[in-house]
Amino acid sequence: MTSQPRRGAAQPYRSGVNRREFLGLGAGLGAAALLGGCSGSGGDSSGGGELTFWTFVDDHATFMKSQAKEFNKTTKGPKVTVKASVYDYDQMHDKLLTALQSGVGAPDVVDIEIAKFGTFTRGEIQLHDLTKLVDKHRKNLVETRLAPYQFNGKQYGLDYHLGAFVMYYNTDVLREANVDPDNIETWDDFIAAGKTVKKKTGKWMTTVEAQNRLVHLALMLQNGGGIYDKNNKLILDSQANVDALQLAADMVHKHEIATSAPGGGQSEPPFYKAFNAGKFACHWYPQWQMIRFPDFMPDTKGKLLVRPLPTFSAGGAVSTMGGGTGTAITKHIDEEKVDVAMDFLEFAKITYDAQVKIWTELGFDPYREDVYDDPALSKPDPWFSNEPVMKNLEKMFDRLTPEYTGPRYPEAVQLINETVAFNIVKKGASVSDELSSAVETVERKS
Amino acid sequence: MVAQTTLVTRFRSLAEHPAVVTTFFLLPFLALFVGFRVWPTVHAVVLSFQDIEGVGSSEWTGLGNYQALAQDPQFYKALSNSALYAMGTLVLLIVIPFTLAAILHSGRVKNSHAFRTLLFLPVLTSLVVVGVVFQLILSPDGLVNAALSAFGLPKLAWLESEYLALPALLILATWRWVGLNILYFTTGLANIPQELYDAAAVDGASGFRRFLHISLPLSKPIILFVMVLTLINGFQLFVEPFILWTGGESPGGGGLSIVVLLYRTAFTSFDLGYAAAIGVVLALIIMVISVIQLRLFGFFKKE
Repeated sequence: MTSQPRRGAAQPYRSGVNRREFLGLGAGLGAAALLGGCSGSGGDSSGGGELTFWTFVDDHATFMKSQAKEFNKTTKGPKVTVKASVYDYDQMHDKLLTALQSGVGAPDVVDIEIAKFGTFTRGEIQLHDLTKLVDKHRKNLVETRLAPYQFNGKQYGLDYHLGAFVMYYNTDVLREANVDPDNIETWDDFIAAGKTVKKKTGKWMTTVEAQNRLVHLALMLQNGGGIYDKNNKLILDSQANVDALQLAADMVHKHEIATSAPGGGQSEPPFYKAFNAGKFACHWYPQWQMIRFPDFMPDTKGKLLVRPLPTFSAGGAVSTMGGGTGTAITKHIDEEKVDVAMDFLEFAKITYDAQVKIWTELGFDPYREDVYDDPALSKPDPWFSNEPVMKNLEKMFDRLTPEYTGPRYPEAVQLINETVAFNIVKKGASVSDELSSAVETVERKS
Repeated sequence: MVAQTTLVTRFRSLAEHPAVVTTFFLLPFLALFVGFRVWPTVHAVVLSFQDIEGVGSSEWTGLGNYQALAQDPQFYKALSNSALYAMGTLVLLIVIPFTLAAILHSGRVKNSHAFRTLLFLPVLTSLVVVGVVFQLILSPDGLVNAALSAFGLPKLAWLESEYLALPALLILATWRWVGLNILYFTTGLANIPQELYDAAAVDGASGFRRFLHISLPLSKPIILFVMVLTLINGFQLFVEPFILWTGGESPGGGGLSIVVLLYRTAFTSFDLGYAAAIGVVLALIIMVISVIQLRLFGFFKKE
């Protein structure tokens, strides 16, 4: 358990030998390294070659493969090919953990979801430090989106998107109730509007998730709470969180303007079906929900309006971020491929062109601020009432609260998904009791 | 020359020795058994005395993991869920399959082989498919609710209630395992001599009486076998909650089983020592219950 044998001929970074010294180690080692480096794309110079990439999203695999082709067109250094494997979400993270733990079979580059990232920062971190990549672009990047993948001041993952929370209003329902969403500024306004909707249409204003954290975590973060603060301190039972979850609970139990999301969450088919049928006036979820409307909620075309979240107090934060996936380079990569993998990751994810493609190819909101002036992000979107949604999103950037993750973030997320959300939404349990018992359980794990 | 001949003869006589031959043919099995069963089991026990977090850090903690486990409310919740589930399967997966097996065996069913095959099919179905299909079957507008409303009963939110989590799991388990247990029971029933039934029929015993006084008592060994197997499987509940709810995150933890907890401890918390301790305790629980069960049925009695 103590010593980890690794793939490849040697463990240069462990014994403190740098790349150049390693390459000079000897003909035998050099030849072995060269053979390894040349597999896949033949004819590349030493250091390039095939990068194995694991992900749990088909589109991420397609994106990275196409970015590799672009990279090879422009690079003066070694070229790369991406050999992507797409697995089921849990299966991929489990395989990765087993591979890193046993020292056999880990990929070079891997997608780690935000709720799983903390698991991989325990013990000796088996991921390469990407801080220097981020430093090159830091002035343009939305700093708060880098936070979830940082540990002890080092960057270990690069996200695909910002994942800003927005409110998706169904204009048909609002028109029926004669409610103007642009008059909703605070959550109090929202509740008042919700009561009007309920009275005039008999429909629910919104839904609250009973088996998922995102709707709740959004309110917690927006109100300045969250699971961890920036000093890695667990703040799950803070007053800000209690107030935020009380708001969600009150919408269901006190004001009776919200119901629990069908299927347990707003990523579930029963919810899509109900929202598509116009049963709810709105729901709040990250920007990436936008890519699901055409496939899963086709009848919402042209009827949706994307707006910032109502605020807790006038002039307060209008959004925060939800979900995410950090792409990382594992330490099991052959040493001579590290540099090219870093160059490729930078090119594929955080350069200007890459971030434009995050929107044009993946449909996600970029976290590089300068791309929001690009013509590709200013086009009106017929699905969303012909508004330039991305352009509007940019206006929220200075009123966005950050999300910090800490060592027990995965366990805390699991608890909110499984018990906290369920108990306050379905059982009407006391918010502060639920949060303190969650903190107790999380601390028991540490 | 002479020395060589004796060597060959000696080797030959050795190779013909029964003990050597048996060992030789058992070796592949033994190697696999030790490599994939004995060694991991021993390793798990060793791990359970260590505090391991992530890669490359391990510390001996003695009974530390077991002490923490004894005070872990989540463990007790998981234990009670698993125990209730195991008891549920014990009833459902013995009574239903045995009754069906007796009906199939009675000779009154045409094409009983076709029925047996159909009932066995769920065992062969891919679990991913089962998960998707059961999410639909148990959904608010699904098959189970349609059946309920046909009888004038209210619709239930099977997958969104803490208290319906175990029943939902039992519905899935019944569908999945009834066929396999029918197979065990029909095999057992087929071994009962036909003369007994004939003699009872001559004495005027009805079909039900023949079932009660011949089929049932003479199937005791196979029932015992299936019971022990069902109980062990019940305590190892994992795949079912995992496929019904994303990552096994059941509503309010109503479907949290010991193995789900074990899995999370290893794969979410990366705490392999604590996970191993859960595994060891689970193995002990299963062992104790199986022994009690076997004793109650007089398995250890010398006949």
